[in-house]
Amino acid sequence: MAIDARHVSKSFANYVALRDVDLHVEQSELIALLGPSGSGKTTLLRIIAGLDTPDPNPATAVVVDGQDILDRRASERRVGFVFQHYALFRHMTVFENIAFGLRVRPRKLRPREPELRRRVNELLDLIQLGRWSTHYPSQLSGGQRQRVALARALAIEPSVLLLDEPFGALDAKVRQELRRWLRSLHAKIAVTSVLVTHDQEEALEVADRVVIMNEGRIEQAGTPDEVFHNPASEFVVTFLGNVNLFHGRVDAGRPVLSPNAHGQTARVFVRPHELEIERYQSNGASVAARIQRIQSAGPIVRVELASDHTNPITVEMTHERYHDLTIKTGETVFVKVRDARVFAAKI
Amino acid sequence: MALVSRRPHSEPVWMRTLFIGASVAFVGLLILLPVISVFTEAFRKGFSFYLASISDPLAMSALRLTLITAAVTLAANLVFGLAASWLIAKFSFPGRNVLLSLIDLPFAVSPVISGMVFVLLFGAQGWFGGPLARHGMQIIFATPGVILATIFVTFPFIARELIPLMQEQGAEEEEAAVLLGANGWQTFWRITVPNIRWALVYGVVLANARAMGEFGAVSVVSGHIRGRTNTLPLHVEILYNEYNFSAAFAVASLLALLALVTLIAKAALEWRIRAEERPAVMEHALEEVV
Repeated sequence: MAIDARHVSKSFANYVALRDVDLHVEQSELIALLGPSGSGKTTLLRIIAGLDTPDPNPATAVVVDGQDILDRRASERRVGFVFQHYALFRHMTVFENIAFGLRVRPRKLRPREPELRRRVNELLDLIQLGRWSTHYPSQLSGGQRQRVALARALAIEPSVLLLDEPFGALDAKVRQELRRWLRSLHAKIAVTSVLVTHDQEEALEVADRVVIMNEGRIEQAGTPDEVFHNPASEFVVTFLGNVNLFHGRVDAGRPVLSPNAHGQTARVFVRPHELEIERYQSNGASVAARIQRIQSAGPIVRVELASDHTNPITVEMTHERYHDLTIKTGETVFVKVRDARVFAAKI
Repeated sequence: MALVSRRPHSEPVWMRTLFIGASVAFVGLLILLPVISVFTEAFRKGFSFYLASISDPLAMSALRLTLITAAVTLAANLVFGLAASWLIAKFSFPGRNVLLSLIDLPFAVSPVISGMVFVLLFGAQGWFGGPLARHGMQIIFATPGVILATIFVTFPFIARELIPLMQEQGAEEEEAAVLLGANGWQTFWRITVPNIRWALVYGVVLANARAMGEFGAVSVVSGHIRGRTNTLPLHVEILYNEYNFSAAFAVASLLALLALVTLIAKAALEWRIRAEERPAVMEHALEEVV
């Protein structure tokens, strides 16, 4: 069900977490709220869930499925919530954890025991933890616990699913697996989902749409492709992966790194893979730099360079290109821009 | 595993002997020996004298008052301790730190002063004593005073046990329960209480021990009326001051036995809770082996 949060602001005693934020999530969409810590993404999630209340403002609304749920208690919102640190009930077995949402229902709405068992077992199958049903959370690995937490949230057939840094406490490998698993799960059950994360890779990989937040505001919202290739602001460029910053000039619409170039001064952001290294200066647009370090273990080769005219530079290239160039640490080479994002200089 | 990995870091023999010896000597001298001496002194004049001492009507009335006081105190502090800890650990509100300090107050104040405060408040010349007396209610030099003073002195035990644990556990499990549709009552009984049951048992045991053994505060408010406002500790003191040593120790041994019963009750409860959790653990251990 679609979520529509309008004019949401939230201030705490000594800082402002959200500044008049509007967020729209389509039916069955999985969006990622991406931003550094303190950007307000978790606060927004908690407000949708009903765990926090927004600053009073008559224009503020949180609409789910056409109904403003702002006046409803958290327990009446039927929201599935997954916490970073799982928040499983430590004194209950996996089975009882998942069954909890059904057992606390008022008598009239509570499923009978056989029906309840059937539904919990279905969810156990979904998370592939059927044989762990009698175990306690402390006996499970982090990845298993988070899957239980997810099943528990799904047991109440939530109208929306909210995930607060769900993979934040897991190690890199498990994280990868769970991301893919979540993606395929979402394809299967298609519940409208909001995922909060500070990991840009995770957001770009998992989400249908990414909403990038900074200092209580939404900087940009769009598909992973849109935000990565057409970032709307400096913040978005710098936050989505590594970038090189040059205080260069723009000559006839093309960024030029060379110090003696003409044109309007600008801040030029270039991703490491959009830079090219050449042995000889092909034209005036490139800049001389000395190779400091070459890191060739991994799918790509990363070269760090120092230049008298710019900040330190990072260039990424394929192994093929690296072999063709036959560059070594300590050599002086020329760096040229293939593609860049230009933002007018701020004074 | 643990044994193997620990061996290389093992301390030299003389050091181990020294530390273990010092601990055993300390416990023996300061804890075990006094307990043994209580019982030997109690039985010095024979078993029949012991029986006579503890079945003396005055001793029995002291025992009764002690048990009533402990029961009421525990009930009151259980309710208060749970409520205060829940409030302090799970919410932030103005005056939270003041409440936290107030809970500690009884630990900081000498029990004698605690007793005096109640005399000042409820005594014949006290703020509320006069009006209450006109309605036929006597607090000081009566059972209510003894109970009030005991509640005051044992006030921090349960809350102090619960607050750090509840703060460490945070409110996430409760939040999860609420989001799954649980109301406040369900969240409290199904999530909060099970998570703190150990600390709760421990706090109750400590509070109970102190409630039954409290001397200073009770001594001030009770008035030492034999057969009416004497608790067991006060009765022991009176007997001792009358040079009736064997009887004093006999009654003291009764207090020691009460403590023992408390400890056994705690152990039994722990055992029952563990037994509930065991089946799954066993199964897990088996799977690990296979």
